[in-house]
Amino acid sequence: MSLKHDIEFTLNGVKRRATVGVGMTTLDMLRDVIGLSGTKYGCGEGECGACTIVVDGASLNSCLMFAVDCHGRNVTTIEGLASDAKADALRDAFVLHGAVQCGFCTPGMMMQASHLLACHPDADADTIKRGIEGNLCRCTGYKKIVDAIASVGETAK
Amino acid sequence: MTGIERYVVPASLEQAVECLQQLGEVTILAGGTDLMPQSQAGRLKIKRTLMNIRRIPELKGIALDGDVIRIGALTTISEIMRNDLVKKHLPVLAEACDHFASDQIRNAGTLGGNICNASPAGDTLVPLIVLDAEVELASKPDGKVYQRTMPLAEYFVGPGKTRRAPAELLTGVRIPLPPAGHVARFFKFGTRPALDISAISIGIAGILNQGVMTNVRVAFGAVAPTPVRALHTEEALEGKRLDAATIESVANVARDEVKPIDDIRATAWYRKEMIHNMTKRMLDHVAQA
Amino acid sequence: MNVAEKTKTIQPDSLIGKRIPKMDAPEKASGKTRYIHDIDLPGQLHGKILRSARVHARIRSIDTSAARALPGVHVVITAADIPDQRPIGVAKDHLPLKRDRVRSQRDEIAAVAAESEEIALQALKLIKVEYEDLPIISDPTEAIKPGAPLIHPEPHGADGSHEHLKQGMPVAYAGKPDNIAMRFDYGHGDVAQGEAESDVVIEDTFKLHYVTHCCMGVSGIIAEFDASGNLLMYSNTQVPFLHKREFAEYLNMDPSRIRIIQPPIGGGFGSKLDIYPFEVICVFLARAAKRPVKMVFSREEEFLASPTRQPVLLTLRSGCRKDGTLTFRQVHTLHDNGAYTSWGATTPFVMMQTFSSLYRVPHCDYHTTAVYTNNPYAGSFRGYGNLQATFAIEAHMDKLAEAIGMDPLDFRLKNAQEKGEVTGQGMSFKSCGFKECLTTAASRSDFRRKHRENIRNRNTPDPVKRGIGIASMLHVGGGAKIYPSDGCGTILKLDDFAHVTLITGASEIGQGSETVLSQLVCEELGLPISAVTVVNNDTDITPWDVGVHASRTTFIAGNSAIGAAKKAKAKILAAAAKKFECPEADLDLRGGFIIKAASGEPLIDLARLMRNLHFTEKAELVMTTFYYEPPSKHQDKGFKGDVSAAYAWATQVVEVEVDTETGIVRMTRVTGAHDVGRVLNRLGIEGQIEGGVVMGQGYALTEDLTIENGVMRNPNFRDYKLVTAPEIPEMDISFIESMDGEGPQGAKGVGEAPAICIAAATANAIYNATGVRIYGLPFTPERVYRALHGKAEKPYWKPWKPE
Ligand SMILES: Cc1cc2nc3c(=O)[nH]c(=O)nc-3n(C[C@H](O)[C@H](O)[C@H](O)COP(=O)(O)OP(=O)(O)OC[C@H]3O[C@@H](n4cnc5c(N)ncnc54)[C@H](O)[C@@H]3O)c2cc1C
Ligand code: FES
Ligand code: FES
Repeated sequence: MSLKHDIEFTLNGVKRRATVGVGMTTLDMLRDVIGLSGTKYGCGEGECGACTIVVDGASLNSCLMFAVDCHGRNVTTIEGLASDAKADALRDAFVLHGAVQCGFCTPGMMMQASHLLACHPDADADTIKRGIEGNLCRCTGYKKIVDAIASVGETAK
Repeated sequence: MTGIERYVVPASLEQAVECLQQLGEVTILAGGTDLMPQSQAGRLKIKRTLMNIRRIPELKGIALDGDVIRIGALTTISEIMRNDLVKKHLPVLAEACDHFASDQIRNAGTLGGNICNASPAGDTLVPLIVLDAEVELASKPDGKVYQRTMPLAEYFVGPGKTRRAPAELLTGVRIPLPPAGHVARFFKFGTRPALDISAISIGIAGILNQGVMTNVRVAFGAVAPTPVRALHTEEALEGKRLDAATIESVANVARDEVKPIDDIRATAWYRKEMIHNMTKRMLDHVAQA
Repeated sequence: MNVAEKTKTIQPDSLIGKRIPKMDAPEKASGKTRYIHDIDLPGQLHGKILRSARVHARIRSIDTSAARALPGVHVVITAADIPDQRPIGVAKDHLPLKRDRVRSQRDEIAAVAAESEEIALQALKLIKVEYEDLPIISDPTEAIKPGAPLIHPEPHGADGSHEHLKQGMPVAYAGKPDNIAMRFDYGHGDVAQGEAESDVVIEDTFKLHYVTHCCMGVSGIIAEFDASGNLLMYSNTQVPFLHKREFAEYLNMDPSRIRIIQPPIGGGFGSKLDIYPFEVICVFLARAAKRPVKMVFSREEEFLASPTRQPVLLTLRSGCRKDGTLTFRQVHTLHDNGAYTSWGATTPFVMMQTFSSLYRVPHCDYHTTAVYTNNPYAGSFRGYGNLQATFAIEAHMDKLAEAIGMDPLDFRLKNAQEKGEVTGQGMSFKSCGFKECLTTAASRSDFRRKHRENIRNRNTPDPVKRGIGIASMLHVGGGAKIYPSDGCGTILKLDDFAHVTLITGASEIGQGSETVLSQLVCEELGLPISAVTVVNNDTDITPWDVGVHASRTTFIAGNSAIGAAKKAKAKILAAAAKKFECPEADLDLRGGFIIKAASGEPLIDLARLMRNLHFTEKAELVMTTFYYEPPSKHQDKGFKGDVSAAYAWATQVVEVEVDTETGIVRMTRVTGAHDVGRVLNRLGIEGQIEGGVVMGQGYALTEDLTIENGVMRNPNFRDYKLVTAPEIPEMDISFIESMDGEGPQGAKGVGEAPAICIAAATANAIYNATGVRIYGLPFTPERVYRALHGKAEKPYWKPWKPE
């Protein structure tokens, strides 16, 4: 069987340990080893963004990241974002603007949106569209997602 | 997927090249954005040792070193795109980075990884080639760390294949500061701003003086097994006045020079047409600027 | 009555037409919603399927011994292990585990249930299969030729093992003498006469391509048997009650012992309308392993094994008179059915409606042949054949108008259906906002002016040309009576806090039906939307429903919910009337109170009345049921009849920029006008339409499932390109409220409508920009570039139907 490795990192603000296969993705670690199912598998190839998480302040595709590389880093998933009061405005905006349909892309969108707003608090529609170009949504046509993110940026101003 | 026997995380350049020298069969891991999908899909088998180079400080950062800009191998595409030195002196590289994948991948993917993955469609390669970039390679064959450099244009051998020796680590890229009057343009063909594998890409650079281009560099991506410099096209453009006739004839040379293939993204015929039309469009823009 | 005293009167208020956020959105936006992928049962095993390595081959042998010996493997099954397997699918031509023959790339050969997915995948690699290749037929025009190799040959001659099976058996056993899976022939009027009366006649062939649903949540199922042999399935089906019955048949079980729970679904769009082999196989595995088995696809598998929107070759002949009156339409289509028959084969039901009835055509003749090939098989997909039909019709509307020198909008207005008309096919338009859709979309987009200007600018030196195109659609909007019933049941109960539990047969597949149904109920009962909990995902609890398809849920389930709510209201008012000793008619429900209807003065809050009923009077529970069956008709043998209780209309105007030096088409703006009957939830309906527009954009411009000789070349998002955020057009959407008399609060169904005309309008826009008409989809840069440079082959298919 594949080689295992022990890592220690901060997950959603809490220090923790995990034993993971060396070839394992961070996505599989989160879902199968740690049991947090908010981060979604949509393609496993970096093309859809459903698995987006934030690591050391930058958004990444967790399906492309080796789990062992989480060692010593600060990882935030949708579960962490959802329990962060600062992110309530973003969640409310997604709800009120109708940015959620089947919801499968939503956790990844929320993560990417939070990172986008952290980098560009006053992002306009075009910046937002570019910012979420790595997140596919089959239901909404993106418009309401862009509106939702823009509304948070505006209120932050 | 399996078969990995060892996982190492060197903390310095010296440790890293020592591992490479000692352990033999090593797969280098940087951002993982190529390595992970390739290994998951079974297109690439990770060797006995997986070496994560992300903790090596010497591989990070962008700095001016005399009249050269050095970009460390671990610099992410996002970092390059936002860097002030790059934006000021190498805007064409920043532009290419803006057409690269998605924000998430730009945040993870490194310049070293893009170069060592050696895809004919790698988006930083064509602009770096026309900027006369060199790669830095380090090794420790006999207890001492050696560095060598090589023009990027000569680095690629085939898809996924480079002139890097198995015991060498790519540490960074060195780009001469462009002189006055330098112009450079990059074009990536796609229907989307970014998340798209280039069906063709074009880089053109040179010094423009009173409508005449000299020191011309032209390179194409995704029309051959590696990114290629287009020597005939360069020759056709070198020292010429950028008028409509020159531009048309240069575009024709470009079309004849490339030997692309048919694949799922485009046919060879269409790729040649695009090389022609877009070379022309880019030169028109240069001429008008 | 403290609260009531403070509020002197309660003003009338309505939830209808408001922007009501989806009830399940907060959970989803917090990552808390548990999709099928997120559910794990104790003791669960992981199932994986071995798919064919060949496109068309005889299976010589299967050796599973090494896989069975792998530690961690519980069961390995092949067709030989399941002797009682029965064929599934619309034509019963499909055995879940293939016996002696594989007919397409995705065909299921064996399956494994193991401790982990990793072990299951390893086990698959240990299974050895010997094949004997058979000729591959991947071109439907080849498949219909006499003497073509057969995909489902009759089992006679050397292979005598099935000889005892008589004709009349399912295709899976009895085979077929040719490759024709299904035929549809429809007509009204006399096309020869129509043609004779025409001043202009045109004929073209259109070639429509493969696309697939790409739900962001991949397919999955969990199956578990309890100790008494009852089956519980967690499944994403859109039609739980029909599937319960079908599963019972396939598994030789009593249907009452099957329970289906539907967890929230990561997208449907029609893909979950049929039972697929993996679902049956997963149940076989669970039965054999006596453990719960979970099976979830990878994205690649999702591409390979999901149904598709099928390719269609379509030859259309149409005519009109100089004055702009349409005279006739003659249509022959050839549908690539793939190797097996699913709902895709039945899309002509919808296609012929569009040909016969979108515009007024006195003479219409329609023929479809769905033909077996070794390609992926065709399922149902949002729009159900209507995208393909509309693409052809609207191209001809433009071409005919140009031929007689008439403005394309005037030409359409002249032939557009109106309220009160009954079409040649028997569809009766009780509400119809078609003309208003046309004029609204045209005026909001400044269609006439731009259309003229773009033609003038075709020859300017700028390589980027602008174009504008218009197209319209007709789709069922009040269910579709494709089964003997098109009904839906509701159970509604109020508790002693005046909280409503709405138990409906209608599944939620992300479209927001929960929210709309709650709104309709609250509207009747005068309650806020927060007063409702919807239960809709467990066949042991919910009442009968045909299923989510044909844009029917708002209309059918909505009427059903209103029916139950009205009955509840009557009960409440009767109780209140008794209490306050006044006639029921003097009372009403509003803002959570029983009020005096005339003044709005609150009398008692509803929760308190409910408690009175329960505790003091012990009179009655407020729990009602209602079953709604729409007044539509089953079509007759000639496909005639008023199949839906209402019809939805829409016009979409698409604007593009065509870069003539690259062939890149940018969709800049879409102006849509939709006759939705009435807007119930503005937020929800806008979301449906925007999502549909962008799905239509993908169909028009970027999505192309490439099949070469039966092999899928792009089973990934890298090369199967969904539209991403920066590519979306500006969208301007108007609603035409034609207030359907039968619809819930006047509404009609719209789920499928928005995707339908985008490709058709885009084709017209590209023509408007460049003067070049492209007859095949999608409009990828290379296809457009070739067409602009005269290097495109114009498709041609000689109209054909079997004698
Ligand atoms: C969805 C998606 C979209 C993409 N889009 C684009 C795109 O638009 N344009 C583009 O150019 N690329 C694209 N890529 C490819 C990839 O993101 C880039 O090539 C990236 O730069 C690779 O960097 P990395 O750090 O992730 O490399 P890794 O995956 O870590 O490594 C890549 C290869 O280089 C080797 N390597 C890495 N660093 C070194 C070093 N310092 N010395 C020696 N060898 C080394 C590794 O062993 C491996 O073989 C895309 C990838 C995905 C998944
Ligand atoms: S699952 Fe990671 S990008 Fe799709
Ligand atoms: S809401 Fe369904 S994929 Fe985005």
